[in-house]
Amino acid sequence: MVNRLSPPKLKRVDRIEFVSPKKYRISNHVTLYHMKEVANETARFDLYFDAGKNAASNGIPEFVNGLLLSGTKDITSFKINDAINGMGGFYNSGISMENSVISMFCLRENISTLFNTVLDAVCNVSFIKKEVEEFLADRKQQHAINLEKVGYLAHCGFQKKLFSNNEAYSSTLKASDFENTTAEQLIDFHAKHYLQGLLKVVVVGNVDSATIQKIAAACQNIAKAEPVISPKTLIHLPSRESKTKKDAVQTAIRVGRILFNKKNEQDYMDFLILNTILGDYFGSRLMKNIREDKGYTYGIGSSLVELQETGYFIIATEVGKELVEQTLNEIQNEIAKLQQDKISNEELELVRNFMLGQLLKNADGPYAMMDLFISAEMHGKELAIYNKAILAIQNITPERIRDLARKYLNWNDMCIFTAG
Amino acid sequence: MVQFDRFKLNNGLTVLFQKDTTTPLAVVNTLYDVGARDESEEKTGFAHLFEHLMFGGSVNIPEFDTPLQLAGGENNAFTSNDITNYYDVLPAQNIETALWLESDRMLSLAFTEKSLEVQRNVVIEEFKQRYLNQPYGDVWLELRPLAYKAHPYKWATIGKDIAHIENATMDDVKSFFKKHYCPSKAVLCISGNFDLERIKTLCEKWYGSIPPRNKAKRNILKEPVQNSFREKTIERHVPADAFYYAFKMVRRDHPDYFVIDTLSDAIGRDKSSRLYVALKKQQNLVSSISAFITGSLDEGLLVISGKLSAGISFEQLDRSLRVELEKIQTSLIEKDELNRILNKIRTSKEFQDQGILNRAMNLCFYELLGDAKLINLENEKYQNITANDVLRVAKKTLNFNSCSLLKVKAINNGK
Repeated sequence: MVNRLSPPKLKRVDRIEFVSPKKYRISNHVTLYHMKEVANETARFDLYFDAGKNAASNGIPEFVNGLLLSGTKDITSFKINDAINGMGGFYNSGISMENSVISMFCLRENISTLFNTVLDAVCNVSFIKKEVEEFLADRKQQHAINLEKVGYLAHCGFQKKLFSNNEAYSSTLKASDFENTTAEQLIDFHAKHYLQGLLKVVVVGNVDSATIQKIAAACQNIAKAEPVISPKTLIHLPSRESKTKKDAVQTAIRVGRILFNKKNEQDYMDFLILNTILGDYFGSRLMKNIREDKGYTYGIGSSLVELQETGYFIIATEVGKELVEQTLNEIQNEIAKLQQDKISNEELELVRNFMLGQLLKNADGPYAMMDLFISAEMHGKELAIYNKAILAIQNITPERIRDLARKYLNWNDMCIFTAG
Repeated sequence: MVQFDRFKLNNGLTVLFQKDTTTPLAVVNTLYDVGARDESEEKTGFAHLFEHLMFGGSVNIPEFDTPLQLAGGENNAFTSNDITNYYDVLPAQNIETALWLESDRMLSLAFTEKSLEVQRNVVIEEFKQRYLNQPYGDVWLELRPLAYKAHPYKWATIGKDIAHIENATMDDVKSFFKKHYCPSKAVLCISGNFDLERIKTLCEKWYGSIPPRNKAKRNILKEPVQNSFREKTIERHVPADAFYYAFKMVRRDHPDYFVIDTLSDAIGRDKSSRLYVALKKQQNLVSSISAFITGSLDEGLLVISGKLSAGISFEQLDRSLRVELEKIQTSLIEKDELNRILNKIRTSKEFQDQGILNRAMNLCFYELLGDAKLINLENEKYQNITANDVLRVAKKTLNFNSCSLLKVKAINNGK
């Protein structure tokens, strides 16, 4: 009979093979990265633009991002969509604080045609009046729906305090943005941030280098001429605020502060370990206490979000509306424990093994490997940083974790925002 | 082409093995042939509550997650109206940890009062977070009982009433396990860079001694044929009016299933689809519109849903929608249109089959459908669909006598 009481022997992950993409120069500051090692017919390309939410006010970046396929003087939005869908392509556009990214998922045999279609549509978009009006009306409705979500309300309130010294980062969409936008604003933004704003191109797929070179060449005249300069310091305002939403049965909680990104290499990598212990996996202190012991929430998590020059730490959860104070107390308790007591060897061993396993997973397959690479490249690093991360995970001490908690997780430094 | 091997243990457990030499990871996916459709109407939400309890310790192991994390792995699970699926992803060298954990909870759970109490609360918060505290979040709690009168698809996996979760007892939980969790009701798929012989040995070692239990007879009430249009309006504090037309459609194993999927793509998958172009772009009646199918094992639903543009009435929408749906039932879909849809399906299939976890889940699901080999035949079934097929199935399916319409009327918040 098999012995079920003692666990099978374990072997920790000790090395991970990282594969860099091939680089093609587009201009002095702009590169195309290609990962060719794809074993099937799938392919993807992404174009990154210096057109994030911080690049202009009043929702203009969001609107331009959403209107990129709305038609040119030669081809309607209907025809553009028809061309993409006819080739079996899936188009996606997304916007973050500092970037705009458009992506295409397709079969490799169609990648050239789809790239040309998208590039033409994006470069020549003419912001046709009817398209713009319809788009703004839809977004206005979507915005009204978002305002009914406590998670969205908490996020907006938190963002204001987190980026207190920088209007471009702290501002969020307002109702008036949907009324006051002019075609001129959209055209100006597009000219500056798309026609001269390409930051990089990413291609994953088993495509030959001649095709890649053509894509790189086609991108030359929209490449950004100079490197982007993002604010080095963003300052958060420690505070506790709330927004009331009538009839909500849960309250969304956001707690966090400005910290750093990969550029602050050692603290970043070590803090990730602290962050994992606190709230970034199912067995984390916050999940164990607030979900698995108390049952206050369906989920709670913490993360370190990277920006171009800095980053921020955030804890997010939604709890029963009568449980807000208890939850905040428990979060505070869990942080205090990390500041007072050294983590046990047992728990540290668990977190080490878990993080190494996750890194192995995050490096599995060409798509994941490319994402990992881009996450390093964004901050001027190469894949080698992940080998350093492996060493950091293997070598960190309980004292170092405690000291980082003392240095960076003081409750009085936190922005706290609740909505519900 | 997805290659795999299949073998069966004496206790009835079906094992699929998919060798993948390109990854350092292993996946252990376990599908149990139990979902919300197996619940009784007085105790709904059990299949899903039970999924939560499956992480609360098993007969020989006090906790599920910790040993798996210690092995560098992660796991999760989901419950649908038809199935409950659990998966573990971990470094291949530690695969035995996943087999140890999964086989022990197939053998039996710890059934602690603490776990039941906490997971009841967690599920109640999940109910609030997903269904009650989101605009339009309760739509499926309303639409299901409108569309189904007898079949258990009339309730959502979360349950039809929070009280059913609040009142769940340990005896309920134990009898649910006994009835639905046994080797012969499970499909296990293991993927990774292993040899078949080693997998056979490991499966025999960990699962071979689990005693067989009788597969409970499934006795699901059949949904009577719907002969007339149903309609319900609910009022909610939401910013826009929303509509959900739900047409009855064939079972997952019916040959027309793929044709209806294609039909739903034609009318509402993307920005080239008929309803998007006609009702949104040309007539400006809606801010969004899409069509999809529920994909359930028993008779499912083809749903057309969306939100009205400001100032448009439900009646205006209804008139135009019927005109568009009439067209696809009276004239053949153009060759280009059909090709466009089938090209998109081909791309989706390629992406679905890439990634070790997706493949393992899909293999288990197709095995439940009858044969895991179906994973390799599906694209061909789609690619062989003709315009005549779409016309025939559109006539049969887009029949308003088998349609249920839920309207969400926006009422002023008084703010």
